Amino acid sequence: MGERRVLRLERPNGLVHVNDLLIRGGRVVDPAQHLDAIRDVLVRDGVIVAIGEHLEATGADVDIYDATGAAVAPGFIDMHVHLREPGQTHKETIATGSAAAVAGGFTAVACMPNTEPALDSPALIAEVLRLAAAAGLARVYPIAALTRGRAGNELSPYWRLHDAGAVAFSDDGFAVKNARVLRQAALYARDVPGVFISHCEDGDLKGDAVMNEGARSFDLGLAGSPGLAEEVHIARDVLIGGDTKKPFHIAHLSTAMSTELIRFGRAHDIAITCEVTPHHLLYGDDHFAGFRADAKVNPPLRLERDIAALRAAVRDGTIDVFATDHAPHTREEKTQLLADAPVGFTGLETAVGAYAHAMPELSLERFVALLSTNPARILNVPGGTLRVGSVADITIFAERPWRVDSNAFHSLGKNTPFDGETFARRPIATIVGGRFAMRDGRVGTASAGVA
Amino acid sequence: MAMPGRSLLDLDDFTASEIAYILERARAFHDDPPPRDLLRDVCVVNLFFEASTRTYTSFAIAETRVGADVVALPPGSSSLGKGETIADTAITLAAMGVRVIVTRHPESGFPYRLAESFDGHVINAGDGRHAHPTQALLDLLTLQTEFGKIAGLRVALVGDILHSRVARSNILGLRALGAEVTLVGPYTLLPDAMAREGVRVERDLDAILPHVDAVMLLRIQKERIASAVLPSLDDYARNYRLDAQRLNLLARDAIVMHPGPYNRGVELTEDVFAFPGWRYAQQVSHGVFVRMAVLDFLVNGARAAVGARG
Repeated sequence: MGERRVLRLERPNGLVHVNDLLIRGGRVVDPAQHLDAIRDVLVRDGVIVAIGEHLEATGADVDIYDATGAAVAPGFIDMHVHLREPGQTHKETIATGSAAAVAGGFTAVACMPNTEPALDSPALIAEVLRLAAAAGLARVYPIAALTRGRAGNELSPYWRLHDAGAVAFSDDGFAVKNARVLRQAALYARDVPGVFISHCEDGDLKGDAVMNEGARSFDLGLAGSPGLAEEVHIARDVLIGGDTKKPFHIAHLSTAMSTELIRFGRAHDIAITCEVTPHHLLYGDDHFAGFRADAKVNPPLRLERDIAALRAAVRDGTIDVFATDHAPHTREEKTQLLADAPVGFTGLETAVGAYAHAMPELSLERFVALLSTNPARILNVPGGTLRVGSVADITIFAERPWRVDSNAFHSLGKNTPFDGETFARRPIATIVGGRFAMRDGRVGTASAGVA
Repeated sequence: MAMPGRSLLDLDDFTASEIAYILERARAFHDDPPPRDLLRDVCVVNLFFEASTRTYTSFAIAETRVGADVVALPPGSSSLGKGETIADTAITLAAMGVRVIVTRHPESGFPYRLAESFDGHVINAGDGRHAHPTQALLDLLTLQTEFGKIAGLRVALVGDILHSRVARSNILGLRALGAEVTLVGPYTLLPDAMAREGVRVERDLDAILPHVDAVMLLRIQKERIASAVLPSLDDYARNYRLDAQRLNLLARDAIVMHPGPYNRGVELTEDVFAFPGWRYAQQVSHGVFVRMAVLDFLVNGARAAVGARG
């Protein structure tokens, strides 16, 4: 991480407005204000103070960023990442994961609690926040375990976890198997700020699966997990959400039927939101040859008809959020026997390119809504808009083709399905609290502005 | 000409003409044993991670008969369980001068992973539920010997298709050589999605039996009851056990095959052993010759003018 030095070259000390920043000439895309036009954005002291045409900054201390030809959006938020700390720092740390986030255009991430130990106590939530502040790059929002130890039996202390800074609750990696436990949890936590995020997968139907169940798993003689394993749990959680009036967010949708179940819930006025990963929008179960664990991910890569249905659900608004399920693992772990290798792909540093690659026809307004506006709303966190007075979390991206090289990742996890792919879109600047955390590809510290 | 690094991981590694060539060579070895120096100074390691009597012994005899230097690693002796990777194992064995690894492993795809890193030939002696290509070759040789051809034969595979590496490799071989394949079994052992072009999925064995040239029975594992795949062996037997009544449905010159070991009273009754078309012993016998032919083909290449893939 040689680049983790402070980038304050253009900002001499002793000036009044150390954070003055004028982003000039970019196409400002802010779905929250229905804005999509060439505008200048002026930032002062970490806050957006003006958006307009031909803004002039007063004083000589203004950092001017020329965004001509690029898009300027509210900061992207990846609400589903695994930062592996505490406990699995050989895979990733909060520092390396934060660097990966800002390198990939994310000003904030929400990290899942499947650490060792699981994030199920206020002290652990506080520790994550402390490590994130020390890293000083992206905002890190901890998601607390939905049940103690993610064991599915006892409720987590939701109010205390909220007080400590948890923004959502999930046993991600597992579903809460016992429907009564989940219902009690949802009832108890109805008024606790913080959505319940469901990893929907019936462990019995999944069994020892290493891929999707279908013609291809039958050909390869590999145990497959049917789409049904996901769908029965989405149906259950949608209904439990309706019954308890607790908002639920369904993680990583992977099948056509899953999108139908979300629509069913909405048609019954149930507060339900959902997300999709880039890999489920791009690859089917036949994308990878052979028996390597490179393609092993949960939920598994499905079929062409599922990919088409997921894309349609993004277009029609059924799917609210792009979230990568960033899941770093070491090369040693991923090259084990298929049954032993862990599931998951890294995603933070490829997301902007991969989503645009999957859905090049998607309007920039929808693209930004899925990466910023909607996750900010669902998590109820700052950002998600460039309205005057908002925190100056800003992602600038452009259509500039680039080739994915996992060796250049800031993440410790090089386990990407996109290595060698050429993507058209990429982030070129990540601004957190008014400071550049990534500028033209170089990652630096956003420092004290991050909380 | 030798083809360095060529392996037999499944039958789709060979073209139809290569399969035909191997069957022809196996037939020749059967009729006229070759000199015991076809693989002189070639070191073969038998790397079995799963218990095996039939296949292991058959390979060991075949290797001896072609004059290879044979080393057997008993199951559990490998360092793979001690943190060594598949690539480490492959590199270690190659560095000792091993030219051929014959391997059986409980995980589907293991021989593929091994072959990626091994500078030599890998022969798959059974991987998980995936493939068992030399078993399919010996089955093909049995059919060829019986009927003089394979194209156009109607072959039914009966039983636990889903978990059967024997079935998968046979489907590839039978299709490559032009047989019509019918898979028969209950839904939990034979998903509809296993149907392919040239591969039918059927449920009613009695309706199929009169119309086939050969029946390949597959072993039913008793564990399928505990895992809620089958209700009982008796319930399975009601529809799929080959007994005296069902044998009567077969055409007069039809044959019955089984890869072994068979469960008396489950997938067949002892009536089958008295059936004139019962070919189990021939299958086992053919196993040695097809394995000799595979070893010779991989290490030495095709002897005659055969369209070997480069």
